[in-house]
Amino acid sequence: MKKLLFLSCLLALLLTPALAQEDRWDGADDLPVNPLECPMMEGAMMATADPMATEMAMEMPEYDGGLAVNPADKAGQDIVVVDVPKLVGIGYFAATTLGQQQAAEELGNVTVTTDAPTEANIDDQIAVIDSYITQGVDGILFAANDPVAISPVLTRALEAGIHVVGYDANSTPEARTWFVNQAEFNGIAKAMIDSMATEKGADASFGIVTSTFTTPNQARWIAEMWAYAGKCYPEMTWLETLEAQEDATLSFNQATTLINKYGEDLDGIFGMTSVATPSSADAVTQAGLCGTVAVVGLATPNAMKPYVNDGCVQSVVLWNPIDLGYAAVYVLRAVVDGTLVPGATTVAAGRLGDLQIVNGSEVLLGAPFIFNAANINDFDF
Amino acid sequence: MFMAEQAASSRPNTPPPGGLRQFLLSQEGVLLLLGVAMVLLLATRSDKFLTVDNLLNQGRLLAEIGLVALPMTYIIITGGIDLSVGSIFGLCAVVLGFSWQVVGLPLELAIVVTLITGALAGLVNGLFIVRVGVPPLIMTLATLAFYRGLAQGISEARSVTGYPEWFFGMGQGDFLGVPQQLWVLALATLVAGIILGLTTFGRALYAIGNNETAARFSGLPVDRYKLLIYTFSGLMSGVAGYIFVSRVTTTRSDMGSGLELDAIAAVVLGGTSILGGSGSILGTIIGVILIQLLKNGLALTGVTTDATTVVIGVVLIAAILFNTFIQRRRAQ
Repeated sequence: MKKLLFLSCLLALLLTPALAQEDRWDGADDLPVNPLECPMMEGAMMATADPMATEMAMEMPEYDGGLAVNPADKAGQDIVVVDVPKLVGIGYFAATTLGQQQAAEELGNVTVTTDAPTEANIDDQIAVIDSYITQGVDGILFAANDPVAISPVLTRALEAGIHVVGYDANSTPEARTWFVNQAEFNGIAKAMIDSMATEKGADASFGIVTSTFTTPNQARWIAEMWAYAGKCYPEMTWLETLEAQEDATLSFNQATTLINKYGEDLDGIFGMTSVATPSSADAVTQAGLCGTVAVVGLATPNAMKPYVNDGCVQSVVLWNPIDLGYAAVYVLRAVVDGTLVPGATTVAAGRLGDLQIVNGSEVLLGAPFIFNAANINDFDF
Repeated sequence: MFMAEQAASSRPNTPPPGGLRQFLLSQEGVLLLLGVAMVLLLATRSDKFLTVDNLLNQGRLLAEIGLVALPMTYIIITGGIDLSVGSIFGLCAVVLGFSWQVVGLPLELAIVVTLITGALAGLVNGLFIVRVGVPPLIMTLATLAFYRGLAQGISEARSVTGYPEWFFGMGQGDFLGVPQQLWVLALATLVAGIILGLTTFGRALYAIGNNETAARFSGLPVDRYKLLIYTFSGLMSGVAGYIFVSRVTTTRSDMGSGLELDAIAAVVLGGTSILGGSGSILGTIIGVILIQLLKNGLALTGVTTDATTVVIGVVLIAAILFNTFIQRRRAQ
């Protein structure tokens, strides 16, 4: 019996690397992938049904969020909400706050105040939430500095009858009611690959500059990109993934390495971090290859404005933080009013229309936002 | 001149018997009066502030800073400083998580390993300060970076979660209706206070702070005492790290960043001179409580977090000015 156990362990050990190596790109993780529909097909199917909706409906897991315990019934009445982002004083969360204020103004019966530590510190964030629980508010919006560390205090809030909705950075599901998810991994992956295809054709060959092969988010995105490109653009050539931590100089050097190593074969570079993308754009600019080598990546608008404004970069993929904050307030209002209950499939969010419910208790903000020359100057973060 | 002032001010440190007036004029007494006034004022502004639930809950939040501030008082009394406590705190949290989940030690043993790690980290500080003669500020500034780097290296930026239910008792549970970590803090405060006030070891710390050379020539084992207090500081950072992990149910390498400044602020607010030679555990613990209640009370009356930080800064400056004023009066 023991021997059998040992043998099966050995077999498992031998098989794991073999399985892991099978069909995945450097820097991708080996979790299951879920590539979205290709753009052509999506257009064709639009007439009948939204493919994303049908897909979601088929595999919609059960509601796994928590619920406020015996909350006061404030349906349609004025509510006081506190917003606790990771920190205050940076453009990104100033943008989410702006969105929240817009939503509050539209609704007319919500008061939102933003209060958070000036540094992204888990302990300080917990203390802030703690004092608002004692003070007594109707709802708490949060963007967690740590998904697990924030959960005990949020659970206390739910127990005190306070509605809790997350955005931007999640807690464990049972510690909040809903989470507004700004972008799913497969959504970002699709936007990245589609942008590259638009700029450089369905047979583009490109390299990737990422943080490290094992950084969770980046590995997830690359895995989804690999799956999506395999499905929709089989002609694309994947050259190489290079690691650059989250370091500007290293990112610049790695992008330069790609340019020198592949020369004319290189049509584009993907920047997987908000550091790698501007550094890659810088490397392409300095090599005098603007327009020849496309840079597509995740980054914040301020870092990319110079490259977008001088035409070197056409698409920066991210989400719109103003819409994110806006949606969070609408979701909280819907929870208080009882219009968003476990099992719902959509929620109405003002100017954003009906948002999809995914993963049991998450509200999907929608497709990622592409910043380009036409809109990037409207954002400041 | 400074030396003379310090020496003169250090002797009336513990209030002489019968000296209620003396006590009220001491830094601790003034702080206590200030604290009571502040609590009453804040209580009139928010009815949620002066409730048993809220106060006990605040106790839960201040325990970690309190535990680190106790040995910090010792160190500052000797004229030293320990900037690495926050990093040791983080390193210990990471060691706890990883010796349990990655190395596979039983969680009880992992806690012991964590405390030993903390003590060792403190001992390394002490050894370099005593044997190599690196100034405490420089040495602990170096290990502030070094220990944090170690924590990040060991954890590879991953967090450890999924601790069993019993483990959360220390951070979230109650004993006789009072948060468990408050009992730990109360016990540690009592012991630390007695040791500082009533033992040869404790009194020797004042002597070292007043004049280290004189202390050496008086035959005090200065080096051994210094090793002890830096090791103690590391150990308490480890204890605080363990309690924190238990409270927030996860382990991250950036835990405790900035903790050193909170602890030092509480110690200095409590009347311990940053130049060494004077101070008390009572003052420190009042300082810790005062800062926490001020933060909480202001938040409850609707003051935002950034404004609260400003108020605390002002209170700190005022307290230090007042302390200097009293010391001057005494010296005359």
